[in-house]
Amino acid sequence: MIPHLFKLIWNKKKSHALLIVEIWASFLVLFGLATLIVINVGNYREPLGFTYENVWAIGLRNNQDTVSIADKQQRILQRLKAYPEVESVSRMSGNFPFSANQMNNGIEYNKRKAHPDFYVTDEDFAKVLDIPMTAGSWYRNVDSVGKYKPIVINKKLKEALFSDENPLGKVLSDKFRVVGVVDKFKAKGEFMSDKPAIFELVKVNETWNDTMLMRVKPGTDAVFEAKIVKDIASMVTGWSVEVDYLADSRKNQHNLVLVPVIIALVVCTFLLINVALGLFGVLNLSIAKRRGEIGLRRAMGATGSGISTQFIGEIWVLATFAMLIGLLFAIQFPLLNVFDVKAGVYVTAIIIAVLIIYAIVTLCALFPSRQAALIQPAVALHEE
Amino acid sequence: MIHLKNIEKVYRTSTIETLALNNINLDIQKGEFVSIMGPSGCGKSTLLNVMGLLDEPSKGTVELDGQPVTQYRDKELARLRNQKIGFIFQSFHLINDLSVLDNVEIPLLYRSTNGKPRQEYAKEALTKVGLGNRMKHFPKQLSGGQKQRVAIARAIVGNPDIILADEPTGNLDSGMGNEIMNILQQLNDEGATIVMVTHDEQMAKRTHRLVRLFDGTQVL
Ligand SMILES: Nc1ncnc2c1ncn2[C@@H]1O[C@H](COP(=O)(O)OP(=O)(O)O)[C@@H](O)[C@H]1O
Ligand SMILES: [Mg+2]
Repeated sequence: MIPHLFKLIWNKKKSHALLIVEIWASFLVLFGLATLIVINVGNYREPLGFTYENVWAIGLRNNQDTVSIADKQQRILQRLKAYPEVESVSRMSGNFPFSANQMNNGIEYNKRKAHPDFYVTDEDFAKVLDIPMTAGSWYRNVDSVGKYKPIVINKKLKEALFSDENPLGKVLSDKFRVVGVVDKFKAKGEFMSDKPAIFELVKVNETWNDTMLMRVKPGTDAVFEAKIVKDIASMVTGWSVEVDYLADSRKNQHNLVLVPVIIALVVCTFLLINVALGLFGVLNLSIAKRRGEIGLRRAMGATGSGISTQFIGEIWVLATFAMLIGLLFAIQFPLLNVFDVKAGVYVTAIIIAVLIIYAIVTLCALFPSRQAALIQPAVALHEE
Repeated sequence: MIHLKNIEKVYRTSTIETLALNNINLDIQKGEFVSIMGPSGCGKSTLLNVMGLLDEPSKGTVELDGQPVTQYRDKELARLRNQKIGFIFQSFHLINDLSVLDNVEIPLLYRSTNGKPRQEYAKEALTKVGLGNRMKHFPKQLSGGQKQRVAIARAIVGNPDIILADEPTGNLDSGMGNEIMNILQQLNDEGATIVMVTHDEQMAKRTHRLVRLFDGTQVL
C-alpha cells in the first residue's frame, strides 16, 4: 500500500506543489526555531560558574574630576570594605556580570589562537563571586612580578589552547602567565554559551576599570544602597555613582534572550496555524473531489477505516516528501558548520521539527479522513 | 450463488421517501449470465449495489454462497467484495492519477498480495482484455472502450466468482459496446457468473436470462 500511495502522490505532485512548499517552509522555520530553543535550553542547563545573589555592581564615574583618581578609587574601595553590611569588594572592568558591556581580544599559545572575553579584576574577584578553582589559584597582587601579568583562564580557553597540557605557568602572547583555571564563567547569564574567558590582574593605575563589585550580607536593602551612594558622594565631589543589583541585571539579560525567542515562537505558531488551516481546507476539498475514488475503493474491498488510513497515509507521504527536501537544506548547517553549533543540536532540532510536522498534518487529516470513511460507497459511485 | 429474499430498499430524505426496491426475490446460479433491464430510476443500480454488498437492504436477506450476510460488519463485507465480487461501472471509475497497470492492481492492494505477483496478475488481466500494450498509459490517454476494458481487467484481476456490471456499455458507441460484450461473454464462458444492467435489448438477448424491473418491482 505504501508504494501505491507514493505513486499516487508522485503522479499528483504538480497539484500538490503548493502544499509541499508550505510544509517545506514550515519545516525549515520549525527547524530554525527548534535549533534556537535547543541551543538556549542546552546553555541554560550549564551552570553559570559563579553566584550573583547579594552582589551589587557600583559604577563610579569621575566625570570632570582628574586629580589623583587612582588614589580616590582605592579610598572608596577601602571605605566599602569597612561597612559591616559588606562581605567582600572587588574592583573590575566595566563588563561586570550581566552588564551590557563586552571586551574581547585575540590571544595565542604555540600557534594556537583563541578570541576570549577579557575581564580585568583584582585579587578578590573570585571571592566576591564565589568562583571555585579547578587548578592553581586566583592571582594575588604579589604574582605580578617580571614582565608577565598573572591571568586565570576558564576551562573552555584551556581546552582551546592547551587541550591536555597543564596550563599552569604557561605564557600566552608573551604577555600573560597562567596561574589558575576556573570551570565556567557565563557572564551574560544562563542562556550564554560557555565561551573562552581570561581574567587579568588589574593595576592600581588603570583607573578606567572603575566598577566595584560588592557582596553584601543577605537582607541588605535599598536603605544601605542610599547610604553608600551618599557616603561616596561626600568623599569624591563631582563623581557619579550607579548601583546595579546583579540579580536584577540577570533578569534583563534573560529578557534580551527570551523576548526574541518568544516573538519567534508566536510568529511561528501563527504561521503553523495558517498552514494547518490551509491543509485542513485542501484535504476537505480533495476528499469532496475524490468521492468517486472512495466509492470505487470501497467496492474493490477497502474498509471504512482503510479509507481514512489511506488519506492520513497520503498526507504523511506528502509531508515526508516536503521534509526530505527540507532536510537537504537543514543538513547543510551541521555539514558546513556555519554557526559553530554542535551537530547534535541540529539533529535534535531536526527530530523535533519532523515530529511537530507529522503531528500537525495528522491532526489536520484526522477529521477529513474520518469524513471520507463515512462516505456511503453506493451513493458516491452513483454521483458521476 | 446469490440469493435475494424479500428485498426492500427505501431511501429516506427529510422530505421524501423513495421505495427503490420492492419485494425482490432473485436467485443467481453459478455460471449464469443475467441481464437486468428497466426504465431509468426503476432501481437497477440499487439492486446491483445490494447484490454487491455496497448497500444494505431495508428489509430482506442477501445470501452469498448460502451464507446470509445481513449481520456482517464492514470488515467482513469489504473482504467479501474484494474476494468474491468484481464491479464494472458505466462511468468506468478509473483513477486518473494512476497508470493503467496501477489501476488494475487496486483490488489486490486490499488483500495481502506482494508487489511482484500483483503486477503479474494485473498484466495477465490486461492482456486478457487486449490492453497488454497500454499498461503504462494513463486513463486520459485512452478511448472510452479502452477505459472500460481496463475496468474489466480490474474487475477480474482478483479472480472473483461474480461480476456485477452496471450499464457497462452505456457510455460507449455500439462498436465498442459489442467489444465489451464479447469480453464479458468470454469471461462467462470461462465460468464467471455475471449480472449486467443494460438498456440495450440486443445485449440482453445475448445473456441467459433477463430480469425486468419497473418502479422497484420485478416484472419478469
Ligand atoms: N442515495 C439515494 N438517496 C435517495 N434516493 C436514491 C438514492 N439512490 C437512488 N435513489 C432513488 O432510488 C431510485 C432507484 O435508483 P437507481 O437504482 O439508481 O435507478 P436506476 O439505476 O434503475 O436508474 C430512484 O428513484 C432514485 O432517485
Ligand atoms: Mg443506474
